[in-house]
Amino acid sequence: MQKIPKLLQVVLIVVGVYFGFVLLFDFILGQVIPSSLLNMYMFFIVAGVLAVYTATEDGTRELVAPIKSLVEDPSKKKTRNIVFAVTPVAVALFVYLQLVPSLEAPLELRSIHPAPPSTVKIYGKRFDLRTLVNPYRKLEEEDPEEFRAMVEAGASIYIQNCHFCHGDKLDGQGPYAAGLNPVPLNFQDVGTIAQLQESFLFWRIATGGPGLPDEAAPWISSMPVWQEFLTEEEIWQVILYLYDYTGRRPRSWEE
Amino acid sequence: MISTSIKQLLIVMLVVFLLAVLPFSVAEAAEGVQVTVPELSSSDYPVIAGVNSRVAVWLAAQLHLWFAAFVLAVPIFVFIIESIGVWTRDQRYDEMAFEFIKVSITAYSLTAILGGLLAFSLFIFYPQLMTYLTGVFSESMFYYALLFFAESVTLYVYYYGWHWLQGGDKKWIHLTLGLLLNAVGTLLMLLANAWLTFMMSPNGVDTAGTFTGDTWGAIHNFLWNPINLHRVVANVAFGGSVVGAYAAFKFLSASGEDERAHYDWMGYNANFIAITALLPLPFAGYYLTAEIYEYSQQMGITLMGGVFAWLFIIQAVLIGTLFIAANYYLWCGMGRSEGAHRYYPYIKYIAFVIVASFLVWFTPHTLVLTNEELKALGGPYHKYLGPLGIMPAKNTAVNLMILFTAVSFLIYRRSNKLPTVSWVQTGNALQIALFVAGIANILILGIYYGYFTNTVYKVAASIPQVLTTLVVIVISTVIDSFLYKGAEEVAPLRWGRVPDRSQYALFLLAVAFTWLMGLMGYIRSGIRQHWHVTDVFRDNSVDAFTPTLGYAANVVSIGVVIFMAMVVFVFWISQVSSKKSYPEGYWKTA
Amino acid sequence: MTQFLKIAGFSLLVISLFATYSNLGIPQIKPAPPPSQESVDLSSMDMDSFISLGEKIYNTKGTCTLCHNELGGRAPMLDNLGEVVSARLEDAGYKGSAANVVDYIVESMNEPSAYVVKGFGKVGTNDQESPMPDVRSGSIGLSEAETLAIVAFLQDSSGLDVSIEIPSNVEEVAEVPEEVPVSTGGQGSQRAKYASAEEIVAILGCGACHKIAEFEGAIGPDLRLIGQSRDAEHLRQSILDPNADITEGFVAMMPPIYGDQLFASELEMLVEYMASLK
Repeated sequence: MQKIPKLLQVVLIVVGVYFGFVLLFDFILGQVIPSSLLNMYMFFIVAGVLAVYTATEDGTRELVAPIKSLVEDPSKKKTRNIVFAVTPVAVALFVYLQLVPSLEAPLELRSIHPAPPSTVKIYGKRFDLRTLVNPYRKLEEEDPEEFRAMVEAGASIYIQNCHFCHGDKLDGQGPYAAGLNPVPLNFQDVGTIAQLQESFLFWRIATGGPGLPDEAAPWISSMPVWQEFLTEEEIWQVILYLYDYTGRRPRSWEE
Repeated sequence: MISTSIKQLLIVMLVVFLLAVLPFSVAEAAEGVQVTVPELSSSDYPVIAGVNSRVAVWLAAQLHLWFAAFVLAVPIFVFIIESIGVWTRDQRYDEMAFEFIKVSITAYSLTAILGGLLAFSLFIFYPQLMTYLTGVFSESMFYYALLFFAESVTLYVYYYGWHWLQGGDKKWIHLTLGLLLNAVGTLLMLLANAWLTFMMSPNGVDTAGTFTGDTWGAIHNFLWNPINLHRVVANVAFGGSVVGAYAAFKFLSASGEDERAHYDWMGYNANFIAITALLPLPFAGYYLTAEIYEYSQQMGITLMGGVFAWLFIIQAVLIGTLFIAANYYLWCGMGRSEGAHRYYPYIKYIAFVIVASFLVWFTPHTLVLTNEELKALGGPYHKYLGPLGIMPAKNTAVNLMILFTAVSFLIYRRSNKLPTVSWVQTGNALQIALFVAGIANILILGIYYGYFTNTVYKVAASIPQVLTTLVVIVISTVIDSFLYKGAEEVAPLRWGRVPDRSQYALFLLAVAFTWLMGLMGYIRSGIRQHWHVTDVFRDNSVDAFTPTLGYAANVVSIGVVIFMAMVVFVFWISQVSSKKSYPEGYWKTA
Repeated sequence: MTQFLKIAGFSLLVISLFATYSNLGIPQIKPAPPPSQESVDLSSMDMDSFISLGEKIYNTKGTCTLCHNELGGRAPMLDNLGEVVSARLEDAGYKGSAANVVDYIVESMNEPSAYVVKGFGKVGTNDQESPMPDVRSGSIGLSEAETLAIVAFLQDSSGLDVSIEIPSNVEEVAEVPEEVPVSTGGQGSQRAKYASAEEIVAILGCGACHKIAEFEGAIGPDLRLIGQSRDAEHLRQSILDPNADITEGFVAMMPPIYGDQLFASELEMLVEYMASLK
């Protein structure tokens, strides 16, 4: 490292980290890293690297020495002129590429977990989502046998209705899943049902895609309005099954 | 023998004390009170001179809050610094404490003016809401006014009596005054907090909002204490960062070496205060959030999910900025001594961990994806980045960030010293073992409990993580203080020998803190959505909608600029007040 | 001074960076507007929502569809007002004072007898008196604003240009329940129980069709002395399933919804009350 000038070190580190991320995510792990995220990552990585290199006086001097000499040293006139010409062009090109309209469809920004309304009308009744609980959840303690029966019932309802999209392993990989955008939720994921209370699931299942608030883009969800196909009882049973099969617990604060 | 003036002072203090405890003795439920919630329509909200009433009240409230936070926080650490001065008999502390309080005394009158502005704009633009709130809180508002007198009296005596009450018993009286000042100030804040938390989590009223005299119930509502805790801690951090900016300002415009040394030292202490208070702040925040969830799941999801989820990404950026700036200031400060060269190589590792933790903290749960990326991923979920978007990852990251900031501190403390005790090796090994064990524990708690068990444990795991962090910091600091007792100086610590860059880090800290407070003020108020008082008193004004984050950020930015301008004025005026000029031949000679 | 400018510049730069990031770096999702509320705020309303408010009142609180429906001949349909109003205003049988469409519709609701469409008059009055109640009266009790909302709806639905202005008078804030309170007895229902049979009669609007208590409805059978000819059993059936046994001279048009709107104890209270009318 001693031979490489500090300025070059900084550039190498930043570029290296950038391509390191791309290599790691896009090629090794096979899941692309979103460019919006990578840009912000890089902003803070640059800030961090600069902080380290400018923490000492000597370091700072060494870092800016090449820039200083480029601007001030008469013998570097040629290089200076080239740099001064190329830099604005490069910046202009970058801005142009950022702003040029592409053929890509505009982004659909949707919150995946929108805040639920405080009350919701399902089956012609008004439910208070703040206090609503799964009526069968208590059976888990009180009557485990009955509870198993409820889960079993939920399982067959799931297989008859839900698995086409959400998959027989509840992983969002059902036979129809490939045709849907947004893709069906993966209930095995730690970020989905494990983060939610059962009343939230009841609301989402019963009112489906059309029942989403605007922020969650109800027009692009293909989730059916299940209150028109299932009974209240059946929805609660399916919810029991979702948690039972994935081994997750509904979110709660008391235990 | 007590002199007359001291006697008079003691009487004043007694009166203030009585004023402060008065509310407790008469806080009894008033009989027959009935305050009901009116049903409003948009025409019940006055439109005055085309002013957007929400933005007007928003800015007035935020500016008042910034100044109030500053004015309440400064006496807290001034009292502590003064006590340190008394303890160590190092006069520099006493002088610094006085300089801090001098800055806050000008800010004090601005706080009161802005408070008046806020009250006026509330009464002008939201008369019905204020009628209701003053109906509910009539007594506490009256005591608030009384306490304000007490606060003013104590603050003036504390400040103007600083040089009079020096030495021996007089100093003790002065310290007691400082304590009294803090007690009254805190009480003031608690009362004001009760009003706003009542609007978030109303209590002491029935479901229709009708108030029948349960004043204590209305004050002691669900979110009162969580907000109280969060605000006290945040105020100290904020106050520290603002006086840090003051010191940086003076440092940069100082002319002599002595002055530079003095303000460098002052800036270092202010930064120390800000960071010490910043470290526990995330935990106070988690406590508040957990309580909000406990109060209402809907409010909780509004806060953390949905639209406001993106606000926490902005918050992450700001807190990341705070941590990087604070650490950078410490690293730059190591240049004060030649002895620090030994530790330079470690900086990059600390920076690596802090930046890496920050990137985890910053990763949002919902990723912004282009359509191409969406197709490549097959959906909005990212297999590897998705898990970084939820709480366990963020808790782990923030704990690591805090631990490594503490490491920065320890290294800074050691920079010009060489331990002389016999157990140096053991002590160092012990500290390293402590940190390694702590980090391992945090990682295990975060990864195992965060991803391989149920939600209940997920939330529960954050508490042992926090405890680990705190225990490691406390114990390592204790070990360090023994280890470096009577340590040799490798090279002198030259105050004032820091690059100007480091002073800009202090400004960055102050600006980021101010902006962050404004942003969090917006969300605290915003999660009530279209309610003046949650679920009880509906906001039917045209401004009942929740604005977008960009809009809020712009209002906050404007507020910060106004605040900064006023703060510069405060700095300037406190500088002018100590200047004296004697024009030749102006006054007639006797 | 240079120091000061530098610092100010630096601070402004930092602030603008934060603001820029908040505006451009993260998605600007517009939060959902506050949910609409039962008591309607007229001053912030556009014409479309005013019309749909009118439709809501027409179908619910106004109870208009009880008679103005496709089922039976108790009241004229209102979907062709555009064509008929001007003709009616010229008609010799018109006794009112309206000069334009809006005034006419308002008048027809407040003083229904001003013009009676042929064949829809009260029995025995030779189409001189209308069986329709004044919409301002007790059982319906529409405010002026609500009346105007219905006018807007009627104009709109019959193909006319809506020519009314949304009232700005705040006193006239209309209150509209989201739907007719349907009590299925589930956890959804929250209303308090009715206290008396008279209250039920007033709230459910029985008097719009029947003569009962102080009401003078002329569409359904006279119930003032119904206890003389019917027992409790029959009365209960007539409420729960009105079309099972139609009184001679009347058509099947009473909606079978009232059983759902009452708690069992309220139904019994009403039956008992009616059976006592002797």
